[in-house]
Amino acid sequence: MTADLLFYLFAACTLVCGFLVIANPFSLNPVTSAMFLVLTMVFLAGLFVLLHAFFLAAIQVLVYAGAVMVLFLFVIMLLDLKAEERRRLKVFGITTGLIAVGAILFIFLNTLAQAPLGASTTPELEGTTMALGKLLFTRYLLPFEVVSVLLLVAMIGAIFLSKKELK
Amino acid sequence: MIPVNYLDLLRLAAPETVVLAGALVVLGVDLLALREVETGLRRLLLLILGAVTCGAAIAWMAAFPNLGNFMQGMLVVTPLTQWVKGGVLALAILTLLLSGGASFTNHWGEYVALLLLSAVGLMFLVSSESLLVIFIALELASLSLYILAAFHHDAPESAEAALKYFLFGSVSAGFMLFGLSLLYGLSGSIDLREIAAALGGPFLDPLLAVAMVTVAVGLGFKIAAAPFHLWAPDVYQAAPPPSAAFIASASKLASFFVLAKVLSVGMGGLEGRAVFGDYLPGWVPLLAALAAASLLWGNLAAIVQTNVRRLIAYSAIAHAGYMLLGIMGGKAGLPALVYYAMTYGFTTLGAFGVASLVRDRVGGDNLSDFAGLSRREPWMAFCMLVFMLSLAGIPPLAGFFGKFYLFAAALKTSSLDLLWLVILAIGMSAVSLYYYLQVLKQIYVVPPPSGLAAAPIPSLPKTVIILAALTVIVLGCAPNLLLRVLAAP
Repeated sequence: MTADLLFYLFAACTLVCGFLVIANPFSLNPVTSAMFLVLTMVFLAGLFVLLHAFFLAAIQVLVYAGAVMVLFLFVIMLLDLKAEERRRLKVFGITTGLIAVGAILFIFLNTLAQAPLGASTTPELEGTTMALGKLLFTRYLLPFEVVSVLLLVAMIGAIFLSKKELK
Repeated sequence: MIPVNYLDLLRLAAPETVVLAGALVVLGVDLLALREVETGLRRLLLLILGAVTCGAAIAWMAAFPNLGNFMQGMLVVTPLTQWVKGGVLALAILTLLLSGGASFTNHWGEYVALLLLSAVGLMFLVSSESLLVIFIALELASLSLYILAAFHHDAPESAEAALKYFLFGSVSAGFMLFGLSLLYGLSGSIDLREIAAALGGPFLDPLLAVAMVTVAVGLGFKIAAAPFHLWAPDVYQAAPPPSAAFIASASKLASFFVLAKVLSVGMGGLEGRAVFGDYLPGWVPLLAALAAASLLWGNLAAIVQTNVRRLIAYSAIAHAGYMLLGIMGGKAGLPALVYYAMTYGFTTLGAFGVASLVRDRVGGDNLSDFAGLSRREPWMAFCMLVFMLSLAGIPPLAGFFGKFYLFAAALKTSSLDLLWLVILAIGMSAVSLYYYLQVLKQIYVVPPPSGLAAAPIPSLPKTVIILAALTVIVLGCAPNLLLRVLAAP
């Protein structure tokens, strides 16, 4: 019961904060958006806790709410975003956006209406650190290794593209 | 806990491991040993090191053909994937050697390493049947290609093209990830075969339709099919020529292969029907719409182009339309598709090579810069003739047989369902002859501008272009050389 209540609380907060990231009626400042993104991440971590995925929740806070957001803010400060603050919403953007969102909403609602919700049992979750670690080094070893190569490429690219003249 | 045989994984992933190790060696050697070496020699050594690495991986695959399936589809090695990986590596070698005369950068270590790493990504992409590895490998390849497209440090238009490529790419990757997560949610598995079994019959629920469309958006971007093609003309025109050639050839080959795999293996049974009056939702109607749009838009927009590289880009969009026909041909169409994508890769690579030589000499690659090429460089002009006629699909060249087998595969599927699309494709390939002949008219008919001194062209790119032309001619005259091994079970 408490878990259900907490779920609705976290889910609602995630949605509200997520909405405020992209369309804040009170402020067009990118830093405010970034701050709401932090809140979204934190509430998402709460959802992970409710799913017993404690490791993921910790990672969510450490990596996303921590490291990634610092990077975001850093980039925002480096870029000159005055133009962004002055920008007005365009009719074309709003119409196409609303049409796309409406279409997707229609499909999802359609599916929800067809699907017998709550009929299935709650699946057993493997969210503990130990289970995750074992999976990473057995079943998901290959994707794990390929991701490390991916990070290497990102690093080379960032250094190469951002440095003006390197030897 | 699942027992894992790490040696098994290493054996199956040996070619990728060789190329990856090669990339790291290139980076290390460049950093430690070649810093004081003069640029020309440094470039030559690194390019050769990279080419030798790819050659070693091909030799390994030929000498130890290990086949198998690691961890339920994480890595699936079959003879067909071996051939496609061989094609990717061969195109990588040619791209490396094509860079031999180029001077767009001084950072050859990073360039060669990134090219090899993107080849690694493409190889994993080809030989995995797991959504997770497919996505990660796609990102590995794409990320390397974005950087390669931006490699021209002094040219703002190169950075602009790369930025467009990156923005389009990341948005479409987001779409694709969304679709893959829906697929996982619907089937409870990331293995393509298990997904197909879980999804079952021809019933298409709306959520599955969303998944199908978003996956098609993600991969449609990679293969530059209309309407997800907007990045292609800019990247083909402004990226450094060898990077553009690699994006147009090897990346396309692997992406088409993976699109065919995801649809025909992961969504087998959900084909649907694309016939007027007897329509059934599924991925064949979806691809038919993409193919028709690509054929029309690619061919018609190419007519008005004045820049040769841009023209090749629009023709690439049109060719994506032809190749989509092969995917609709199902499993039987796969060898025809791979044959077409490979020969197309060699053809575009060669065409980019010639355009790059002209650019180095005349200072631009507009149509008018090709004027009188036949009198200045008869051999290069002849090679361009071969490439253009092959792209147009003129008989004894590879392009003709490629198209022939693709159309045949599309017609063979189910009682002439796709006849309308094949007729459209044949009509459009007649249209395409116009703009290919425009290029040849400049080369052979229009007199050269006066005042261009003859200068020797670098031998490495020249060899690559002649090799590519020879491949196109040989595979055109004897398509069975390749088709027989591709169709082998």
